[in-house]
Amino acid sequence: MIDFVSRQTLTSRSTAIVHKYRNKKRGWTRMKKVLAILLASSLVLAACSSKSDNGTEGSNGNDTASKETKEVTVWAWDPNFNIAALNLAKEAYAAKNPDVKINIEENAQADIVQKLNTGLNSGTTKGLPNIVLIEDYRAQSFLQAYPDAFYDLSSIIKASDFADYKIGPTSFDGKQYGVPFDSGVTGLYVRTDYLEQAGYKAADLQNIDWNKLIDIGKAIKEKTGKDLLTQDPNDLGLIRMMIQSAGSWYTKEDGTTPNLANNAELKAAAETYKTLMEANIVKVTSDWSQFVGAFNSGDVAAVPTGNWITASVKAEATQSGKWAIVPFPSLPGAAKATHASNLGGSSWYVLNTDGKEAAADFLKQTFASDVDLYQKLNKQIGAIGTLKAAATGDAYQAADDYFNGQKIATDFAAWTEQIPRVNYGMHTYAIEDLLAVEMQNYLGGKALDKALADAESQAETQIK
Amino acid sequence: MAKLKRTFTYGFLSVVSLASIFPFLWMIVSATNKSVDVTKGKLLPGGYLVENFRKLVDSIDLWHAMWNSAKISIITTVLALLVGSLAGYGFEIYRTKAKDAVFTILLMSMMIPFAALMVPLYQMFATISRNFSVIGVNTLPAVILPTFTTAFLIFFFRQSAKMFPKDLLEAGRIDGLSEIGLFFRVFMPTMKTTYSAAGIITFMSSWNSYLWPLIVLQSPEKKTIPLLISNLGSSYSPDYGIIMLAVVISTIPTALVFFFMQKHFVAGMTGSVK
Repeated sequence: MIDFVSRQTLTSRSTAIVHKYRNKKRGWTRMKKVLAILLASSLVLAACSSKSDNGTEGSNGNDTASKETKEVTVWAWDPNFNIAALNLAKEAYAAKNPDVKINIEENAQADIVQKLNTGLNSGTTKGLPNIVLIEDYRAQSFLQAYPDAFYDLSSIIKASDFADYKIGPTSFDGKQYGVPFDSGVTGLYVRTDYLEQAGYKAADLQNIDWNKLIDIGKAIKEKTGKDLLTQDPNDLGLIRMMIQSAGSWYTKEDGTTPNLANNAELKAAAETYKTLMEANIVKVTSDWSQFVGAFNSGDVAAVPTGNWITASVKAEATQSGKWAIVPFPSLPGAAKATHASNLGGSSWYVLNTDGKEAAADFLKQTFASDVDLYQKLNKQIGAIGTLKAAATGDAYQAADDYFNGQKIATDFAAWTEQIPRVNYGMHTYAIEDLLAVEMQNYLGGKALDKALADAESQAETQIK
Repeated sequence: MAKLKRTFTYGFLSVVSLASIFPFLWMIVSATNKSVDVTKGKLLPGGYLVENFRKLVDSIDLWHAMWNSAKISIITTVLALLVGSLAGYGFEIYRTKAKDAVFTILLMSMMIPFAALMVPLYQMFATISRNFSVIGVNTLPAVILPTFTTAFLIFFFRQSAKMFPKDLLEAGRIDGLSEIGLFFRVFMPTMKTTYSAAGIITFMSSWNSYLWPLIVLQSPEKKTIPLLISNLGSSYSPDYGIIMLAVVISTIPTALVFFFMQKHFVAGMTGSVK
């Protein structure tokens, strides 16, 4: 029916057009005009843009860098954190080296990963930057897959200047490739007002394990009705923090063999996770904004996570003075349990292309040695560095009113040095995707040993 | 009874349409709120629109990115319509033995995900740029060339050409039109609805296209709107108010294109159902 109707309209319209053509050829003239305008406008647009192409060709750095001014292009994400840090470093560097131009380009983290992978995979470094920021969890997958693509910085920086745990992800095959940057040192952010209502003080949470925290969580829920913390079932960040605090990881020392089925720490973490989830003190979230929203709106009493969350916590000014940060709870039943762990954090890498010496020098003079720069980074953007010497500066001794005068930078810097060093290996996120599913099965009643064994066999088939 | 039925129908439709319009509504409301309020899930409009806008314009070069996106989308749409309709017309009107085989291969190309083509394609453009930097990596042609011919559009135009009354072509031939003339003077004006439907689809997908521009465009001043929005979201403490506002602004051009051509679009879609 539809077909019939539209066929009729089509026929009548086109007959009209043929008629028009027969009589005066007006239809064609109009069509010609429209076409001409369309083509002309697309040509003009193309011409405009190709002109600007030529104009900006030189600014892309490495392939056309002139001899007088060296250019170093850097990719990073987050304007308020990494980009802001780069701008401060650029300022400090320019004062001493006016002949080097630093181009800072902002790209989302996922975009950097995508662009690096495509570029390195296709064997061309054209368009890639001189320096790139890579998250520590992903670093080994780049270093091991493209070892020639990165510039060996062993002779330029000293690994022992940095927090020990950062050297695992940033080095490969005995060579130091990365300049460690921010610490992802974890802490437990707690609402002191909720604690008080439940009969606790922040001091009671100083050196506790997860079982104790779960008990406190139950007391808080009973007294205030608030949940202890949030969890996103698809994000195993909590498990990651737990096992690293006990010196373990998803893979064995080589960084490629999955270590799930016979991993005592992972088992302990999974059991703790289940106890936590079944205690009715967890608010389940499904994405980042809900996670942030939960503590901003006062729905939870605690946030166990990396120190970079400080800015998001402080965004809710009305809660000033109601927060404290205590050490990360230790993993019950783990042989090497500690109160320090890490979540996230990233480091700078130099690509092995033209201009690598200038790029390495920039990093050497800034992030690898400049203690004053780290004081500015802490004061202005709240970054906790992993350069050990940075912790001696004055910014790291400052008290934070939002946290009731707690010297949070001092604490974070001290915990950073205690983070157990593990090898993140090449497949952190790939393994975690499998583990997240099995963890749900475990919560649903599957035996833990079976769940972990299944995850391990899946990981083995996928990775190798 | 009939009245009850109608009430029920309208009630049901209202609920469904509310559900489908809610994300859009929430996006607009959130653009007027502070980030903290957005994460809390505030549903009422706030007074932060101007503040968000000021911060957004300060933090990214929005208008430049809009201009970049517009350039790419307009050129892609014009070329895609021309090439896609010529091909679809050719497939339907002319007869050769190989036609169906070629068309099958063409349709099969729709099944290859872009991720599989990405690396070789990038390699190709990187190689080209050594000698012809005008169409190499980081240029406008590099974004447009691999995307403007799509099997989908050719398929779409072929399906519509099936309904095209072939007698008209005969009439045109008798009147002395050339084969090219037949296409431009008879086919094109008759198929206005199909063109507008295809135009909307192409413009939208080009405006929103993300992966290939991300890979091939390197300098910051070439970035398109989706790439800039992706930057906004990758912060450790993202400002959701600003992100929502940026998304609202980036939706405006596609919304305008859609509303202006909506009448034709619907007609074109139903018309192509065989």
